[in-house]
Amino acid sequence: MSKMTRRKFASTAAATGAAVAAGSAAASAASSRFAAPAVIRAQDAPVEVVFYNIWGTPPGGEEPETKHPVDQVIDAFNEQSTDVKVLGQNPAGGYFEVLQKAQADLAAGNPPALVITPWSNIFYAYEGLGAVPLEEVAGDEFDATFGNLKEQVLPLVQVDGHTIGLPYAFSCPVIYYNNDIIGEAGVDPETMFSTWTSFLEQGPAVQEAVDGNPVIGFGTNLDWPAQSIIQSNDGFVLNDALEPVMNSPESIAAMQMIADFDSAGLYDRSTTSETRASFLAGSIPCWVGSIASLGGLRNNATFDLQTSTFPTFGDKARRMSSGGSFIGMYAREEEQQQAAWEFLKFALSEEGYALWMQTGYLNASTWDLPTLEGQEAAYTQLDEGLSRESAWPTGRGGELQIIWGEYVARIWANDISAEDGCNEAVEEVNAIIESQG
Amino acid sequence: MATTRTSNEMQVPARTTSRRGFAWHRLIEGATPYLLIAPLIFLISVFVYWPLFYSTYLSFFDWNFVRPDKAFVGWDNYTRLLDDPRFARALHGTWIYFVALIPIQVFLPLGLAMLLWPIRRAKSQASYRIMLFSPTVIAWSVGAVMWLWIFNPLQGLLNKLLAEFGVERINWLSDRDTAIWTVIVVAAWKTLGFHLILYLAALEAVPHDYVEAAALDGANNWQIMWTIRFPLITPTFFFVLVTTVISVNEDVFGAINVLTQGGPFGSTTNIVYYLYEQGFQYFQIGAASAVSVILFLATVLLTWVQFRFVERHVHYG
Repeated sequence: MSKMTRRKFASTAAATGAAVAAGSAAASAASSRFAAPAVIRAQDAPVEVVFYNIWGTPPGGEEPETKHPVDQVIDAFNEQSTDVKVLGQNPAGGYFEVLQKAQADLAAGNPPALVITPWSNIFYAYEGLGAVPLEEVAGDEFDATFGNLKEQVLPLVQVDGHTIGLPYAFSCPVIYYNNDIIGEAGVDPETMFSTWTSFLEQGPAVQEAVDGNPVIGFGTNLDWPAQSIIQSNDGFVLNDALEPVMNSPESIAAMQMIADFDSAGLYDRSTTSETRASFLAGSIPCWVGSIASLGGLRNNATFDLQTSTFPTFGDKARRMSSGGSFIGMYAREEEQQQAAWEFLKFALSEEGYALWMQTGYLNASTWDLPTLEGQEAAYTQLDEGLSRESAWPTGRGGELQIIWGEYVARIWANDISAEDGCNEAVEEVNAIIESQG
Repeated sequence: MATTRTSNEMQVPARTTSRRGFAWHRLIEGATPYLLIAPLIFLISVFVYWPLFYSTYLSFFDWNFVRPDKAFVGWDNYTRLLDDPRFARALHGTWIYFVALIPIQVFLPLGLAMLLWPIRRAKSQASYRIMLFSPTVIAWSVGAVMWLWIFNPLQGLLNKLLAEFGVERINWLSDRDTAIWTVIVVAAWKTLGFHLILYLAALEAVPHDYVEAAALDGANNWQIMWTIRFPLITPTFFFVLVTTVISVNEDVFGAINVLTQGGPFGSTTNIVYYLYEQGFQYFQIGAASAVSVILFLATVLLTWVQFRFVERHVHYG
């Protein structure tokens, strides 16, 4: 038997590796082209479009008895459409995972036609992933279709004058509270939640009713409610030029308010999932979350669950931010784009939107649809006007959001002073923006 | 004559066949190792070497796989890491996980295996093996729910128990002083059993003759354990050490992801979680690739150090 020398082995392995590498490189080069490969299908078969979302049953999951509203919308569309078939898919977990999957598919030249995209990633969706401006696809039908949206909603999905998605999962933060505990404490919720100062003053009375536990916990990424709190004190996180301005005196004072809650032992520093569990278990009486959480909380709460608008800063107007996600179009082929547009039209029709409204998200349309009990606080805030959730600029926008969120957490937990935290955040965010040119 | 002729006629082609057969035999024999190893080489090339090469290439670009413009940025993705306080924090976290978890994952199961070895024939052995090994096969998502309830600051089991002893409420996962140790405990819980089983299997394989001879010479249990059994299981010990050093960052990733997501204030992050954030949350493929190259080089260096300085103490029998 011939002897296997190191040199022989190495040369053979290298040759094999090189061949594989060359083959893979060629495949990769082909797959990294922007356009999707042509889809081969029978001439009379419907055009299939993929819609990635976060609500459908994930792979391997068990179908629930009652389908999620998003699947009901898809089913209703598919029933009446002969030319287009929508395949709703929840490829994996939450927003980030879905966007990752979409990015991978785009890179592989197999773009999903529609992807649910978080508002905070709007610039990345447009500049980084090539979300398609809907005016270009819809043509004459655009005005009639988007005319079904509330006037203040359309600008939330526009970048450089282009509409790059259908506002769909439309929400804002509210305060959920355990009315049994508040009642036991002998506090009037309307008075307590009227201003941040009154909340801070009456908080200790409520705290006694929960054996000294904190009074309020936050159940979302902290930068989101922080934006509303800052704006309600006439500050801003980003200005119109998308520069960080959260170190204004107004912003710092707003941030200090929650830090004062922490100093008084009223702020729950626990993680977001822990605060939710504590709220449902009756350990903390107030919890800040998206209005979209209403259904889930109501199903699990064993107490009188109520909602309140955010407190204000004295007489200043409340300026809440919206949140959630829009349906972005990422199809590259015209046939796919037109088919996806057909579905978007249905999703925004009265029939489609009524099905979607079962979720608990806010009604962004002009259709007169019933609201869910408990949504009143969110609609009050909507009527007062919602700003867009901070959409962080540059290709490193996602990182900027996390950086600011981390400073918010530190300030609120008194790990850093409000002034230092806000100043350092501006400095750090600016440095990254400048490095991106 | 005819027979001879026939014999000669038959002999000539027979000799030719033999020579050809010999050549074929030599060829097949020579090629067999390559053929046998080819599928593995192919798979390793596709799933290890090619991604490694491609990551190195991508680390010099600013690109997200989708944008048509792929900008060459030279060493920017590397120099940017030096300016990023989060990368420094990730390195610090990586160091703490190394220092804390390597002894826990390498020496603790070794000690436990030696303690459990004498009772290996006991009826209870199946119970303790299942008890210690089951965390390894439990999915992170399932284990996380349990741990989140244990560590919940307000109604968690741990704080309730501690309250009985007058200990004030601790925010295990949201206090920067406790969070990293909480992650370490959970990561150790998940990986301990696998190494324990490896050590127990290695102890089982120690030849009984050696032990018997030592016992006849008057060695006590402690001496037998440290002078006979341990040296003979050093190949397993070395394997566990090398693989733990390689995988400790990934082992802890699951715990970070389900418990703290790197928080509070980045205090529980490590280099693998930082890489994940850069690549899959911020879509910074170039930066993530640069981190992966650094991680690869560090792993190669650490593995080399172990082979250079630790392997000499291994008894391969």
